Amino acid sequence: MDTLPALSQGFASALTLPHLAWALAGVTLGTAVGVLPGIGPALTVALLLPATFTLEPTSAFIMFAGIYYGAMYGGSTTSILLNTPGETASIVTAIDGHMMARQGRGAAALTTAAIGSFVAGTIATLALALFAPPLASFALRFGPAEYFGLTVVAFTTVSVLLGSSIARGLFSLFLGLALGLVGIDQLTGEARLSFGISQLLDGIDVVIFVIGLFAVGETLFQAWRHGRSEMEVVTLHDFTGMSRDEWKRSWKPWLRGTAIGFPLGVLPCGGSVVPTFLSYMVEKRLSREPERFGHGAIEGVAGPEAANNASAAGVLVPLLTLGLPSSATAAIMLAAFQQYGLQPGPLLFASRPDLVWTLVASLFIGNVMLLVLNLPLAGVWARVMLVPRRLLFGVILVLASLGAYSLNRSVLDLVMLYAIGILGCAMRANDVPLAPAVIGLILGPMSEQQFRRAVAISEGDLSVFVTRPISAALLVVAVAVLAAPRILARWMPPRGEA
Amino acid sequence: MRFAQISSVVLIVSAVAAPVAGQPAYQHLRIIAPAAPGGGWDQTARVMQQVLQSAGIVHTSSVENIPGAAGTIGLARFIGAERGNGDVVMVSGLIMLGAIVTHASPVTLGEVTPIARLTGEYEVIVVPAASPFRSLDDLVRAFRERPESISWGGGSAGGTDQMLAGLVADAVGVPPRRVNYIAFSGGGESMSAILGGQVSAGINGLAEFAPQIEAGTVRVLGISSAERLPGVSAPTLREQGVDVELENWRSLVAPPGITPVDRERLERAVETMVGSAEWRQALERYRWIDRYLAGEEFTRFARAEDQRVRAILTKLGLGPGETPPRTAGVYPVLVLAGLVFWLGAAVLETVRARARAVSPRIDAGPGWKPAALITAGMAIDLALIEQSGFVLASTALFWLTARAFDREHPGRDALFALAVSTGAYLLFVRVLNVTLPAGYIARWF
Repeated sequence: MDTLPALSQGFASALTLPHLAWALAGVTLGTAVGVLPGIGPALTVALLLPATFTLEPTSAFIMFAGIYYGAMYGGSTTSILLNTPGETASIVTAIDGHMMARQGRGAAALTTAAIGSFVAGTIATLALALFAPPLASFALRFGPAEYFGLTVVAFTTVSVLLGSSIARGLFSLFLGLALGLVGIDQLTGEARLSFGISQLLDGIDVVIFVIGLFAVGETLFQAWRHGRSEMEVVTLHDFTGMSRDEWKRSWKPWLRGTAIGFPLGVLPCGGSVVPTFLSYMVEKRLSREPERFGHGAIEGVAGPEAANNASAAGVLVPLLTLGLPSSATAAIMLAAFQQYGLQPGPLLFASRPDLVWTLVASLFIGNVMLLVLNLPLAGVWARVMLVPRRLLFGVILVLASLGAYSLNRSVLDLVMLYAIGILGCAMRANDVPLAPAVIGLILGPMSEQQFRRAVAISEGDLSVFVTRPISAALLVVAVAVLAAPRILARWMPPRGEA
Repeated sequence: MRFAQISSVVLIVSAVAAPVAGQPAYQHLRIIAPAAPGGGWDQTARVMQQVLQSAGIVHTSSVENIPGAAGTIGLARFIGAERGNGDVVMVSGLIMLGAIVTHASPVTLGEVTPIARLTGEYEVIVVPAASPFRSLDDLVRAFRERPESISWGGGSAGGTDQMLAGLVADAVGVPPRRVNYIAFSGGGESMSAILGGQVSAGINGLAEFAPQIEAGTVRVLGISSAERLPGVSAPTLREQGVDVELENWRSLVAPPGITPVDRERLERAVETMVGSAEWRQALERYRWIDRYLAGEEFTRFARAEDQRVRAILTKLGLGPGETPPRTAGVYPVLVLAGLVFWLGAAVLETVRARARAVSPRIDAGPGWKPAALITAGMAIDLALIEQSGFVLASTALFWLTARAFDREHPGRDALFALAVSTGAYLLFVRVLNVTLPAGYIARWF
């Protein structure tokens, strides 16, 4: 293995002053766009592409990688503090993170998110450096049947997100599935449920759905519920970070989150959102006190935050080794490679090892920078809870509308944003959980398409799902996840009531 | 708006009267890419932006992305909003012709002003290195024997890739409807299915597959060009007895109803652009083939392509008035039935809980008035954003939202709202280069 010398060469190149400066610029910008709702890393990199044309490719990619990792850090902040996740990857974080913030433990939630992201990012980048080629060739064994199995496993996460009522939870899920039907059917080109409105042909944008449901919905709900009356005042317990007990609760979820997130970044399955939901489910299932989830359990922040960062590193595996983009940001980076006349593909490692290893080294460095940048900020951000609500929600709505409008520069998107916001408010008011709807919207179309692709390839033979070993194993996992609690409850003596 | 009109009149006059060498033909040229950032149309637009500026053909230029439905949403807005506008162009091409047919678009490319064809890319039929198909002959033989047993992986339904599959089927005597075409949503997705051997054969653009071909992970069975391409060792489809030629061309169009003067000025600018050294370099970098064609010839070419596309899509069962095979029928019904069922269950649960007086419903808060205030803010935002500009609309939205939470300090909040909106506007427009409606206030900076 000549990975280590190559990597140290990469570090030598990345640790030069200009490269460090680009990395810093990238992570700072990334953190900023992560905080803004709707402005993701993909859009930012795309917008910066023309501006970076005159840069040397290595510098540009160091900055892009910084933006990419930085956005994953920044996303959790608004989720935790304001209950308004700006992108899909931080939806789960909002569930327990925001409860923690309401209890004055916002700094602890932000700290566990930051350290979890750092741990996950570092381990996953190491895995990327050491095992990228074999991982990528394993990922190629996943065809439509396997991806269908993966979506079925991902669907089981709904079981821990249903909330207090099964009917409401499943209603939410089916609402998401139904909204996922809207638009052109990928496989036949046929338009479904688009009612002749051409803007609906591309379906309901997940970003608009998430910002509408969470950011706009939360603003309306707060106004409806509390209005002008004073809310309970949040007392901040600590500006120092995590207690000893919180450290103890966090470290295992960080590692488990990494283990879930990294492979699911390599295998594209709905982007970084699925690993976060899976991690949340695993933490809740493994916890001795699952009832604390939803009421400020730090594990519910630590795991998913680690998972989304690890998946961000995983996405780079197929991109760098095979030239396969498996997320929106990766697709833009692929375009960036082309801008420099580089060929991302099986030969990139061989033809431009300097670039690849400098990039990998700067991912490590960027991670350290993000930790240094975000840890002291946790205490500062936590004070956002003390800003008057009228200003806070004003800013949220303006940024949400800006994010939605700038996606396609279409007023119809704004109409959709506000309509979904009103829907989100109504759902909150009636105790309908929001997360299952997001799962339905993201996984529904994927699962349906992969199923139909698999069946078309096998010429209508449904047995492919059980005869292909990986697909069969995934379906068994899904059944086990759903059945396990019941079986365990029967076999294990009930724990003490305490 | 008045200012913009006057300035464009001045520009036209100066461009027609005194085409001084070294004087930019346009003060500002807008290029619309009817796709999301990153794809072929977006890249074409951004390369044009660079070349036009650095070659001094335009003073400044901007790219606007209007993604959706393979370009037909961009086309509809281009026709609707830019009619008669002489300093805006849109990137277009073969894929848009196909999308207009498959999506039954109410607008067509016949309505816009054609300017020129710029570049082309050819399609390749590939198989993974380990595939039993050594040549196109092998593949065609198996395909003729049992068409459905060959799965063809490629890009979205109705796109260039599926067109080629249909043309090949037609040429070898298999009804195109029997092509087992597996549409994937992105280049990455279809490429990984091809590399992993999940489909029998893959169809994709040559440029996208070039790295894989060089690395030997896939084998090219045929290329859709008329002649062999320099630097590519693959045989053409035609020389192997499959009489098919297909090129994924990209072109430029101007809005409908522009003056002949405007049209000529655009055509001249594009001609200067394609002749520049910067453009040559860009072509090489992106592996695009120069297919510049302008004027009457381009118009004729586009018309012929339109007929060919319509014909093949109809044969594939994707044409106008076709009811696509109802493969997707069961799932939507299941989903909608589930939605209705669980909605009923949730309502029933609520009613029962009410009856037992242990309502899970959160007690109504101080009520609907503050929420209505915000809703009014949203309505005002929607009404104002395009006409009066982002800053004014957002200020109103912010101010009304602040009112919903607190009655105090209306004046101070208004100032704050204006400051936040202006700051956000400047951040997006100046730093991120996103175009937002300027309207009344932002026009001054």
